[in-house]
Amino acid sequence: MDIQQVLKEAKKAIESCESQQQLQDVKVAYLGKKGKVTGLLKLLKDFTLEEKKSKGAEINSIKVELEELIEKEQAILKTKDINSKLSNEFIDISFPPSSQSEAKVHPISKTFDEVISIFASMGYSVAEGPDIESDFYNFTALNIPEDHPAREMQDTFYIEDKDDNDLPMVLRTHTSPVQIRTMINQKPPIKIIAPGRTYRCDSDATHSPMFHQVEGLFINESANMSDLKGTLIEFCEKFFEVQNLKVRFRPSYFPFTEPSAEMDIAYSIINNELRIGEGDKWLEILGCGMVNPVVLENCKIDSSNFQGFAFGVGLDRITMLKHGLKDIRAFFSGSINWTSKNGFGLGNY
Amino acid sequence: MKFTYQWLLQHLETEKSPEQIGDALTNLGLELENFTDYSSYSKFVVATIVDFKKHPNADRLNICQVDNGGEKQFQVICGAPNVKKGLKGIFATDGMYIPGTDITLKKGKIRGEISEGMMLSERELELSDDHDGIIEITNDFSNGTDAVTALGLNDPIFEIGITPNRGDCLGVRGIARDLAAKNIGKLKALDFNKINDLQFESPINWSIAKDNNNCDYVVSRYFKNVSNSKSPEWLQKRLLSIGLRPINALVDITNYITVDLGRPLHVFDADKVGSSLSMKLASAKDKILALDNKEYQLDATTTIIADEKNPLAIAGVIGGLESGCTETTKNVFLEVALFEPSKVAKVGRKLGINSDARYRFERGLDKAMVEEGLEYASFLINQLCGGEVSKNISAGKLIFENIKILYEFNFFQKIIGIELSQEDQINILNKLSFKVEDVNDDNCLVTVPSWRNDIQKPIDLIEEIIRVFGYDNIKVSKPKATSEELNNVKSSLNNKKNQIIKKLKRSLIANNYNEIITFSFHSSDAHKFLQGDKSLMLTNGISEEHAFMRNSMLYNHLEALEVNRKKGNKNLNIFEIGPIYNTSTSQENILFGLSSRLDLLNKKTPLPKYDFYSLTREVAIFLNTLNFDIKQFNINRAQNSHYHPGQSAELHMGKKLIARYGKVHPIILENFPKLSNSYSFEIYFENLPIDSMIRKNNIKIQESDFQYSEKDFSFIFAKEQNLYEVYRVLTGIDKKLIRQVEFFDEYLSPEIGEENKSITFKITIQSSEKTLDEKDLEQLHQNIIDKISNKFQAKLRS
Repeated sequence: MDIQQVLKEAKKAIESCESQQQLQDVKVAYLGKKGKVTGLLKLLKDFTLEEKKSKGAEINSIKVELEELIEKEQAILKTKDINSKLSNEFIDISFPPSSQSEAKVHPISKTFDEVISIFASMGYSVAEGPDIESDFYNFTALNIPEDHPAREMQDTFYIEDKDDNDLPMVLRTHTSPVQIRTMINQKPPIKIIAPGRTYRCDSDATHSPMFHQVEGLFINESANMSDLKGTLIEFCEKFFEVQNLKVRFRPSYFPFTEPSAEMDIAYSIINNELRIGEGDKWLEILGCGMVNPVVLENCKIDSSNFQGFAFGVGLDRITMLKHGLKDIRAFFSGSINWTSKNGFGLGNY
Repeated sequence: MKFTYQWLLQHLETEKSPEQIGDALTNLGLELENFTDYSSYSKFVVATIVDFKKHPNADRLNICQVDNGGEKQFQVICGAPNVKKGLKGIFATDGMYIPGTDITLKKGKIRGEISEGMMLSERELELSDDHDGIIEITNDFSNGTDAVTALGLNDPIFEIGITPNRGDCLGVRGIARDLAAKNIGKLKALDFNKINDLQFESPINWSIAKDNNNCDYVVSRYFKNVSNSKSPEWLQKRLLSIGLRPINALVDITNYITVDLGRPLHVFDADKVGSSLSMKLASAKDKILALDNKEYQLDATTTIIADEKNPLAIAGVIGGLESGCTETTKNVFLEVALFEPSKVAKVGRKLGINSDARYRFERGLDKAMVEEGLEYASFLINQLCGGEVSKNISAGKLIFENIKILYEFNFFQKIIGIELSQEDQINILNKLSFKVEDVNDDNCLVTVPSWRNDIQKPIDLIEEIIRVFGYDNIKVSKPKATSEELNNVKSSLNNKKNQIIKKLKRSLIANNYNEIITFSFHSSDAHKFLQGDKSLMLTNGISEEHAFMRNSMLYNHLEALEVNRKKGNKNLNIFEIGPIYNTSTSQENILFGLSSRLDLLNKKTPLPKYDFYSLTREVAIFLNTLNFDIKQFNINRAQNSHYHPGQSAELHMGKKLIARYGKVHPIILENFPKLSNSYSFEIYFENLPIDSMIRKNNIKIQESDFQYSEKDFSFIFAKEQNLYEVYRVLTGIDKKLIRQVEFFDEYLSPEIGEENKSITFKITIQSSEKTLDEKDLEQLHQNIIDKISNKFQAKLRS
């Protein structure tokens, strides 16, 4: 019996295998029950004990060797098979995806969010009211009696319906009626902001018949004009992200506040770009003042015990200033391209 | 309100520059809106074209030799058609900035010929839009005279905004008075003489009818034998400088006094009116041809000035054309009156007349100035037109009482937040001509001057004091938020609602919906088109675009999408969170979305087809964002004309509408041919409980490591069977064991009956306590079969 001859044959057979199946066949042919190596073991019965020992050991060793070889070859052939299968699954990885830009929110949404959270940090809660208002809330309670020239400052949309006093309903010209509603329904201290849609009969390059406003109201025993100044400076510094903002307060007139003021912020134009906060030009940014005692009394608040201030800011305007947008009409054009260009995506909203 | 520096100096003695005055005006609340100052034009000089010849290379250009009074002449290439020898114009040389063209001149060649400067047109100096030729100076100025002098530009123009409470500053004198109070100068006395020899009784009489018209008092004088003509140059120039057209001396005088003193008055040609004038209400028959050349129909709400026969003027608003003064006027009747401001405003607004007179009357005039106006006008008429002056003729009563206010000094600090001594406060009030009396440690009695009828209460005095003291001097204090305020913010429902809205918006953009904002209006088209639309009408919509209040956002969004599609956008998803209005007192803020997707050309990587179920999935995601599971709502077919009746749904919670969504009705889309296959949804998030929406995590998932089992069931249901109900029953059978219910197939066939549907769902079962054995499972399966069969009259399919 030539053990080494069998080993040599078997090695050759393993090497020549090209598939896992062939290798399996080789394994059966040598190591199976009827395989050649098994056959060798069967032949041992005719040998002496001495020979049985030594031949037996030799046969076992080539069995182990062959098992190892087959295992190794098995791994190689498996990899080869997978690779050959994968090579048929190659696709064009450069086929471009269909183009779609990220959806965005309108810049006004971003401003709403910022304004609400800035004022929240200063202790102002949000208050709301309807867009369609009665004459009382929009005008009379705010010390704007009929025929007052101030009514001409804000040309008003009217609705066919009448209110409880048989006066035509109006589209609120400011969010001040929310202040009135709050003062009537709530006892001081009151610290609110009222953001929302407002309406005036204006439509040209710089005016839109609908626009957004936020108004603020702070009523307690002592809120004064110094507090008003500080509050508005703090808001503008936070909103415009400018420290030591250069501002100017000018006397003005609103029937619902006294003294009244308008606040300007300084700006300059550097390389065609608007820089907010410094420079020698002024931008009107908001109107404000100490709430007129007449208004407090109209809301059944005792003006000898309580006082405070109010302010109103055009949200579209400050959005345009902050983000360098030019045309207010584009805000309401419904253009997706405009929103894509000027809006805010998940990353910054 | 416009006036010039020189005009102001007629009333104010001051050393301050125009710039300083401009700043002071703004600081006083008389906001400087425009300031035109030509002093920088002094670098431009008068120069004469001493010779010129045709440019060899350009037909329309000339080569001019220009003498600017200097040592050498300049060569200037000029294209103006009015170039001629001896023309005297305004010359700019190289290095000078030309405001009208925004260019700094540089020496250079024009078509090969050297040009060393420019002869200027009015447009290049921003004096007018005239660019037909270069400026020609006809006066006798020598070469080298600066342009400011030669063109009479030495008077800067102020334009200020006057707030409605400051009627007193609608005259240059009132402005000077305010500036004097701010230490900008000293108010001068009015410079005219009263006419002492009033010689005769006026042949024209006055009466004021007792019919509730708006006139309190009127006074007049009659001027005999005047000679009217063009005004003198100083007066014409004054009027021109503020954009008023000189007409003739008599009319110009009234216009001048209107602006100078803020006191409107009127002159009638006495020969064109009757002898008995009255203030009275008009009748519905009355008409008047006014000075603006328009005819106005009058009615009984309008006060007119009339003679025995005709209306002559609309009181306080505008004069009549026929009774006005012309250059042939020989006898004049001057009228100075007081009208009730609010009534003048009403008439002016109704007739749509914005005259200088109305502007002043409706803001309230200084009652004490009636006489001043009368005397000043008389003086000027007499001076410019000669003639004899009658005694006064008047009607009504001139009554006025100065308002007195008890003022407490410490009120100032309470309101403003800074200290100002009693002396300083009194000093400012005095400078504003308020009389301060009965001063003690706490308070004083303040008498308001006649021209400040807006000052009635202590708070008005505070405003006056701080206005003059200066808003810049108010210190800045930043009040800190108290913990109570911060708690209020935290618990505020509206603040929570805004957080919810933000969450929703983030979910929408994450799912590819772009935000747009459309007007709260419906156009007439939308109203016509959405049949049965009950939207609220605006009384005064500015155009067809803003005629109604919207009661839905569909139309606005379809219009927006159509525009976007026309711009070439393929996949269009938009949303808006905003109001809709059903009645004038019911407003709902809702989320509205609209989606219109075209099948993309991309055949290699096609997107799944968008249909009602894709929309449902999105609506479910948005409701999930609000912590609600779509399957927990009652679902019904939407009964709404905007939607396809078979492919739209409504979700309710109790009686409250939560959502409506589906395919847009094809009839509606007929008007939007580019938007076929559009789907929209409305989510009425305000109808959901706020605290549930804001909660961080609403979903309870029990973790379990025990083996799970899945089992599919097919049941035959009636076709209209609501599967959300089936779902809710299934999940309720055993909340501990049933982990998931997934519907995944629908089978329709005559063999199960036309009125039926077979529905297959998969139940995932898992315990968190043990691995379930066959018996446990068998029991649960049977339980499911029994419950579903009984509850819905359904049949298990084998």
